[in-house]
Formats: sequence, C-alpha cells, structure tokens
Amino acid sequence: MPQTISQQLMFAQTLSAILETVINQFLGYNLHGIRALKPLSEKTLTIKLAELPFPLSFTVSDEKILVSSNNEDNDCCLITSISSLIELKKEQQLTDLIKKDKLDIQGDLKVAQRFADIAQTLDIDWQSELAKRIGDIPAYKLGQLGRKLLKTLNFAGTKIQADASEWLIHQKRLIITATEMSYFNHDVEDVEQQVSALSQRLDKLTKHISKLS
Amino acid sequence: MMSSHDQNHPINNDSSDEKTTHFGFQTVEKNEKESKVASVFHSVAQQYDVMNDLMSFGIHRLWKRFTIDASGVRPGNKVLDLAGGTGDLTAKFSQLVGREGKVILADINSSMLNVGRDKLRDLGLVQNIEYVQANAQYLPFEDNTFDIITIAFGLRNVTDKDMALRSMYRVLKPGGRLLVLEFSKPEHELVNKAYDFYSFNILPKIGELVAKDGDSYQYLAESIRMHPDQETLKTMMDAAGFEQTSFKNLTGGVVALHKGYKF
Repeated sequence: MPQTISQQLMFAQTLSAILETVINQFLGYNLHGIRALKPLSEKTLTIKLAELPFPLSFTVSDEKILVSSNNEDNDCCLITSISSLIELKKEQQLTDLIKKDKLDIQGDLKVAQRFADIAQTLDIDWQSELAKRIGDIPAYKLGQLGRKLLKTLNFAGTKIQADASEWLIHQKRLIITATEMSYFNHDVEDVEQQVSALSQRLDKLTKHISKLS
Repeated sequence: MMSSHDQNHPINNDSSDEKTTHFGFQTVEKNEKESKVASVFHSVAQQYDVMNDLMSFGIHRLWKRFTIDASGVRPGNKVLDLAGGTGDLTAKFSQLVGREGKVILADINSSMLNVGRDKLRDLGLVQNIEYVQANAQYLPFEDNTFDIITIAFGLRNVTDKDMALRSMYRVLKPGGRLLVLEFSKPEHELVNKAYDFYSFNILPKIGELVAKDGDSYQYLAESIRMHPDQETLKTMMDAAGFEQTSFKNLTGGVVALHKGYKF
C-alpha cells in the first residue's frame, strides 16, 4: 500500500512526541503531584478523532504518560471529533453525544473518566514556575502584566463583538435582532393558521359543490 | 577512496565472497570486520547520542517512535532490543511492557552497552531491563523466547546478516515479529544526490568536530551505502523464514523499517 505524505513525514510521531512532552511537563508542574496517575498505572486510553488519520493512545507508565499512535491494545477507546471532545467537559453531554452518534465508547468507561479527572484537576502555579526560572520580581511583574493584558483583551473582545453586532444590525441591516425574529415567526404562524382555515373552507365548499352536482 | 565510490557504489554485499565481507567500501576478511566495527563503536560510544541528534537533526527520535508504534508492543511482552546501543528503544519498551514484561538490551560492543546501562539507570529504568553482550549471529537465548525483536541501525554492522536474521528467527516466539530499522536507499534521485553529498562531505566533518573522529563517521557513510536496499533486505528476511515481510520508507527512503513475522 503506498504511503501517504503524513506517514512519510511521520506526522503521527511528531504530534505524539509533542503531546507527550507537553503533558508530562504539565504533570510535573501540577501542585497535586503525580499521585493522580497511580490508579491508572499501565492503563491505556485511545482517542480516534475524526480530524486525524491516526489514533492517539495515552498510556500511564509509572510517573509518566506515554503518547503513541499505536492502536493495538487499549483499555478504553473514544471515537469522536475535536468539537465533541470539548463538549464532553460537561458531564451531562455524554449521553447526548452518544445518542447523536457524535461519540462512541468502547471498553472501560472508568478509564476515560479517570483520564478526564486528571486533566480537570491540573492545578499549576504558573507564576511560581516562572519565578524559578527568571526570579521572583520579574515573574510577579510579568504575572501582573499578563493579567492586565488578559483583562484588556477580554474587554476589547466584548467591545468589538458589541460594536460589530450594532453595526451589522442597525447600520448595515444585514442581521435581524431576536425580537424581530420572534415577530417574524409570529407572523408566519398567523399566515399558517389563515392558510389552514382557508384550506378547510375550500374543502367544505368542494364537498358542497359535489353534493349539488 | 571515497571519490571512486561516492556515486556508483554497490548497494548490496554481492561482491563479497565466502571469506570476505565489507567494512565500509573496503573488502576485509570476515573475522577482521568484527574487530574493526568494534573499534569504531568503542570510539564513538560516549558521543553517540549527541552525534545522532546532530547528524539526523533529531529525526532519529521520530524514526524510533515509528518503530515502537509499528511493534504493537503490549504489557507483559518480552522484547529483545538488539544492537540496542545507548538504549533509546529499550527506554520506551521498558515503560510500555510494564512490570510483567521484560526488555533485553543486547549489544556486541561493551562500551555501547555501558553507556546504555548508565543512561537507563539515570532515567530510573531498572525494574524490567536486562543487559546482555551478544553477537547477533549467535544469540545466546533459547528458541521461541521473544515476542518482539528490534534492531535499529545495527544490522549493517553485522558481518553475516543472513546468519543474524536466522538467529533472530530462532529466538522469536511463533506470532512474534522482527523490526529492522536501518538506513536505506532514498526513493528519489535528487534526494539520493543530496544525501550522498551530505554523507560524504558534511557528516565526517561533523564527526571530526564533535567526536574528534572523522574516520568512524566516514565508515558510517560508507557502511550505509553498502547495506542492502529495501527489496534486497526484504528478500533476505523471507529467506531467513520470516513471513508477511513488508517495509515502510521513512523520510523519503533515507531510512526504512522492515517488519516480518514468525508463524
């Protein structure tokens, strides 16, 4: 079978190497340590994403998570897409996604839940990690700057969104408001009722005419 | 010496007779090759990992990952990492086979084995790894012992490759698989030329600069050219008894991963 460019360039191996490095760095920074990994020792979770031509397997080994594109042996396999995986954060979405065929789970669901728990309980003190490398004061200043920047960006984001909707709705009239939509829906319902009444009247008249003839 | 071989060198070892073999582009007595290869690896052992990263721009890590992914290793497996050198594959296998599994790091060269052992111990990997100094042609293991055998960048240095493949077949369990990761022949002529230029002009200079040993890296380049190409190695594996043999080219065929099963 001819190899794809992705296979030739070893995209799967590159991505798994990057993920493995990042995940283990994050676990190393985690304030709760690596205790959370203990119950998952030697367990493997495989995720098959619609967007990727290869699976990603996460295996817990001692104090590390190993990432590979090997699919031959796993304790739990999730078949889904990136967007559904993000939705999975909300627990109540699980059944919905399965019903909508957006998620398929094979194997031990508890393994997947424990992996999700590890991800959700990650608690990293970025400022203290930064301080270890560049010193306390620069880290504090950078942290302050970062928070300010985040606040400004959030504010700018909200403002841009509000201004853009204002411009599109009121100035350009490209989009209608929720109230206008509701009025429109109401009018459509009215027309539907009138058409239905008319149709019934016509039926009655047709029957009457056929009786007369 | 290089100029007479660099473009039209033979790709396999057909020209060697029963008593002689190749050591790079030189033809030497079979019993002489082992000691010559040994001296090369005694010389490069300490700088081996740094040189691998430099020479391959770090891509050797991806080639090795590809091999691990293709091995289908499972917890509890018994793995032989032959010519395992500084233990890159062993480190990963050790984590993947778990406490119930076992990995044997075998190398003919004591210096490489020592560097590998030190590195793995520094990584805290001690539980399920054993170290064996062994010649691939005469593997000191019982028949049907291993689930997986890997030999990464080692087969081309073996004096009698056919004998080594038969030896690997013998110690592999039925259902087990052999993975041979080795330099090979690039698929495209342009890549081939660029690769030749890099191997014979740049590689020995990097070796001279970093490992203070240009000759060993000259041998490396020559030994790659003398190694059987993809199809020839596949045929050799078939002849040794392996079934469902196949290969995958990596980085345009600069490296190929051959896989064969014993049933």
